[in-house]
Amino acid sequence: MDEFNDNEIARLLRLKRYEQPPPAYFENFLHEFHRRQRDELLRQPLWRICLERAHNFMLQLDIRSLASYPTAVAAMLVCAAIFSLKVYQQPETARVASQSPLTLSVPVNSDQEWNLASPVSTQIFRTQPLRSFRESAQTHRAAPPRYVLDSVPVSYEPTFKF
Amino acid sequence: MSPLSSSKRRAVVVFALAFCSGASLLFGQDQSATATISHQVREVFERAAKAVVKIHGVDKHSEICGTGFFVDPTGTLYTAYTVGGEAGNFTVEFGGKKCPARQLVADIRSGTAILKVDETTPALPIGKSDELEMAAPVISVGYPLDLPKTPNFGWIAGFDRKCLGRYFSTIHLRVNAPTQRGEAGAPLLNMKGEVVGIVVSGLENNAACYAVPIEAAEKIRSDFVRFGEARHGWIGVNNVSPASQQVEGSRAMVTQVAEDAPAGRAGLKEGDVLLEVGKKKISDPEDVFDASFYITAGDTVPITVMRGDQKITLQVQATMHPAAKTGMLLASPGTIPGVIPMSLDDDATPSP
Repeated sequence: MDEFNDNEIARLLRLKRYEQPPPAYFENFLHEFHRRQRDELLRQPLWRICLERAHNFMLQLDIRSLASYPTAVAAMLVCAAIFSLKVYQQPETARVASQSPLTLSVPVNSDQEWNLASPVSTQIFRTQPLRSFRESAQTHRAAPPRYVLDSVPVSYEPTFKF
Repeated sequence: MSPLSSSKRRAVVVFALAFCSGASLLFGQDQSATATISHQVREVFERAAKAVVKIHGVDKHSEICGTGFFVDPTGTLYTAYTVGGEAGNFTVEFGGKKCPARQLVADIRSGTAILKVDETTPALPIGKSDELEMAAPVISVGYPLDLPKTPNFGWIAGFDRKCLGRYFSTIHLRVNAPTQRGEAGAPLLNMKGEVVGIVVSGLENNAACYAVPIEAAEKIRSDFVRFGEARHGWIGVNNVSPASQQVEGSRAMVTQVAEDAPAGRAGLKEGDVLLEVGKKKISDPEDVFDASFYITAGDTVPITVMRGDQKITLQVQATMHPAAKTGMLLASPGTIPGVIPMSLDDDATPSP
């Protein structure tokens, strides 16, 4: 700083102000940068470049974290096994209530029109109940229960007949 | 202003003292009356609460919740038709436990249903709704929403045959007592703790409610005990109109008798003025609704009429109500999921 006094610095700054880069300098800047980088690399022998790359790659891999991979994979497999067991478990078959009424079902050969003249033996009776006794109030927890109180009585007499 | 004389001053003091003592006496009486009512309601509630149950069921839409009450120690309980009529898979909560229940009878005509729990249970005593008078105090005990057992206090506001142009099958008790959702099927009790009705519906923002008289439910239970089903009777009178003049206190004139019907066969004729049907006195045509409700198919019903100036009592054997035959009156147990079908011995005389 001692070599320059203030006047010299001011003069240099004035000169810098009018200093302009050559035409297309900024357009070619990136291309020029990559070219110089390649030139710099190619000055080294190939084996050294490979060694450096391998070294960098190994440094990027965290060995300590790699050591916990098998544990994590094993835990994931156990979870997946348990989850799949739960999901694919066969649902319990609904118990058939013995008291449930027999309901007439469609005949086996449903193509043919069923009529009263059809023999009884061709009809099948569905023994499965309309609603199983196991299906209790708890199975409808998703919907809120209806608390019953109508606005008018259901009792209704339409005529004076008796 | 001249000062009051000593005698006048004494009079003012005596008057003030008398006023204060009278006011305090009235206030005390008012407090005492409120305390007495509160005490009576609490007493009835505590006695009845053990026999009042919460009913859970499942109908085709969702889970339903209502109220019911035991009427005998073998686990028979009454509820409203809207609770126990068209649902299944009943569970009854009482005494801190849950028990499965099955439907015995569902009668849409009366608006009641009878369920059964296979347990030894407490039971409410049955009273008489006929003894109730206008403004008689009554208490209902029900389960509003998901809340615990709750007493409601009110009074009888009417004995209605119809509401909003709809005739009821039997007289309904209109009660000015607040009732909430979930309290359908609750017992209506008199101040002695006896059941006099079953709450079946609310009325206008649930500030009041309708209750079926307990006699109607008892009629259905009696039918069930005798025949295994509700048996609404029919005698074959097709129309009753108001007579031009009152005869023996009645204006209910028979204007049409069905052909080949029990009434016609027993000798009832058009123009007869009805005085009594069964045990019920008739004074208006509307009275026949209530009277006919208590007719049981298969029973012989005495019908007293005025024919000209002659009083005649006819014995009419009632048959099954035609509407019951077509399934309009009864919810057949076989059609209700979860209901055990019963073997019904249909020994009623076939209706025409």
